[in-house]
Amino acid sequence: MAGDVPLRLRDRSPVDGLRRRRLGPVEVFAQSVSGAAPSAAMAATPVIVAASAGSATVVSFLVATVLMLLVAACIGQFTRRMAAPGGLYSLTAKGLPPGAAFACAIGLIVGYGLLAAAALAGAGAYLEALLATAGVRAGPLPTAAGIVVVGGLVALLALRGVRLSARVVLLVESVAITLMVGVFTVLLVTGPAAGPAADLPAPGLGGIAAGVVPAIAAFIGFEVATVLGAEARKPFRSVPRAVGATAAVAGVLYLFAAHTQVVGFSTTPGGLAAQLEPVNALVTAGGWAWLPVVLDSALVMSFAACALATVTALVRVLFSLSRDGLAPAAWGRTHRRYRTPHVALAVAVPAAVGALAVPVAVGVPIGPVLVVLLTMATCGFLVAYLLVCAAAPVFLHRIDELTRIAVVAAAVIVPVLLFVLVAFVVVTPLPSVLLGGLTVLGLAWYAWLRYARPSELAGIGVYDETLTTDVLGVRTGP
Amino acid sequence: MTTPLSGRQPKAVRSALAVLEEVVAAGPGVTAKEISAALRLPSATTYRLLNLLVADEYLVRLPDLKGFALGRRAARLALPATSTVPTAARAVVEHLRTQVRWGVHLASFATGQVVVVDGDPDHPPSAAAVLARFPQASALGRLLLAEQPDWRALVRELRPLTPHTVDSADDLEKLLAGVAADGWARQLGELHAERGCLAVPIRAPGDGRLVAGLALAGPVARVAEPNDALLDRLRQHAERLAPLLA
Repeated sequence: MAGDVPLRLRDRSPVDGLRRRRLGPVEVFAQSVSGAAPSAAMAATPVIVAASAGSATVVSFLVATVLMLLVAACIGQFTRRMAAPGGLYSLTAKGLPPGAAFACAIGLIVGYGLLAAAALAGAGAYLEALLATAGVRAGPLPTAAGIVVVGGLVALLALRGVRLSARVVLLVESVAITLMVGVFTVLLVTGPAAGPAADLPAPGLGGIAAGVVPAIAAFIGFEVATVLGAEARKPFRSVPRAVGATAAVAGVLYLFAAHTQVVGFSTTPGGLAAQLEPVNALVTAGGWAWLPVVLDSALVMSFAACALATVTALVRVLFSLSRDGLAPAAWGRTHRRYRTPHVALAVAVPAAVGALAVPVAVGVPIGPVLVVLLTMATCGFLVAYLLVCAAAPVFLHRIDELTRIAVVAAAVIVPVLLFVLVAFVVVTPLPSVLLGGLTVLGLAWYAWLRYARPSELAGIGVYDETLTTDVLGVRTGP
Repeated sequence: MTTPLSGRQPKAVRSALAVLEEVVAAGPGVTAKEISAALRLPSATTYRLLNLLVADEYLVRLPDLKGFALGRRAARLALPATSTVPTAARAVVEHLRTQVRWGVHLASFATGQVVVVDGDPDHPPSAAAVLARFPQASALGRLLLAEQPDWRALVRELRPLTPHTVDSADDLEKLLAGVAADGWARQLGELHAERGCLAVPIRAPGDGRLVAGLALAGPVARVAEPNDALLDRLRQHAERLAPLLA
């Protein structure tokens, strides 16, 4: 056996330069939770879901949670077996052809890049709201400047290394979630305003299904931990656990938030769906003047943590593409002291901040910008999820470890994700046009690679391989 | 999420050990399917056990992601084999002992632990169990740790054995970076308050991998001095030992 299998082991990891095998399970989990930013979605998403699902909003969230757990299971098939700083695209490459893996990489860049911008927008919007409660009204230029400052802070933390940033997001995100859960518990205990139950039309199956689409958007970013594979101490355990647990925790939080809001408006004509700012309305109805301040602070923190987690992921995807030979070589360099991809960071953060600060500076209100960015980011993530889930059974077949459950999971989730993706693109005109533009750019990049770097493209999907030093009793020739 | 194996699942434990044994028997590169067939285990069970053993680093997946091999951690399952030192190597160590008034110890790293294979009879080294258990506190152990991609894989606990023992991960990290940069290690009263130690690596002449370490032990105050001449002599002997031990 040993004789006829050539052991081609490397002495240095192809993703050498990152700080290998250092992060503990809690730090990995914290990154993952921050990527999904559940506290922000708890406040914002239920009302969007309610627009189609009405009183069955909770059911839509339940379906979305189950679906995202399936996505987590598909990702787990890879992350229990390999660790890649490129995240989903490196995983996809092990099952699907290079073109699909590259499409996944583009999806991730769009997803992480715009989610980072959206998170900064969210932080900016709620910072504005906080200032407004204090009686200060910020104009477009100061707001844009504020966003640039927060972006710079995020870049600095991301540069200092994933360990520090993981600790920061762990602290910030747990405070934010605790505050949100506290606020929602207060609202749930208070119950709806007195009066007869509003007569709400029962949503059909179609309504529930339509509600699942925005509910899924609330989960995006939950797979951020996949990019920390090379840096986690026991990646094959901590990464799949972090991704699965984040989907589960976010799901529970969303169900709780949705239930609270549906109950809170059960006596209001039109129910939750008729509200513009449901949480603020509930809070105001309850008569707590201090709650909005707590709420807004929690949201600013959660959005900032989300920006940090997604920037951390984005630069690792760029780093990995560079190590694949598909992006400028400089992006693959790491900071000598902090061991983070500092060149990729210097490219990515200004781009993400610019995507947001420029429209805000010229006077576009933050709210609509946030919605457009989030929609586009969601489409990017959906493409990536779709491809990685489709790749999972192929990968398992390739390594002779296919199980029936893996096939069933992929067979269920892939058509659903395809449907959700189409639904997303069809209903949103402006983001669709912008996404079309990004697709053209991605195709141009792909065409150039096909022409100039065909062999690198064929080998896409660099990951943290087993090294000579990891294996016991195997000595390869000098 | 997978639940960890509990003591109530004797079958699972037995199967896991059988999987480990099969990987050893079949040799590196054996696939999950082959293991499952050889052991007549259900394939899903085999895959789960393999993933568990890989997560715990007893096994590794080879770069094709299909084949398995023993991981470094599996070395801990075996008792360090008592390696016999060639007579020619003993002679080199003995020669050094006649030249210095310090304790001279030769240790092997072949098993991934510090195993003193030729301790000075006049100045006995610390107990074998202590050296094996706390590599971070001995100069020889630090040579071994500085060579690892992640020293945490070999350090069980950062327990202070004396008031001077390094007991923080950050300090140890800096110490080991120094060892890697300088090419020699030192400890001052960290195993026994009055005694210190200097150690240099012995590397295989071909591929330069670390195979053993040569150490001088003496009173803390003497070890703390700059011992350039002594280190040179130690290095000369280490070089002569390299072809005999690798």
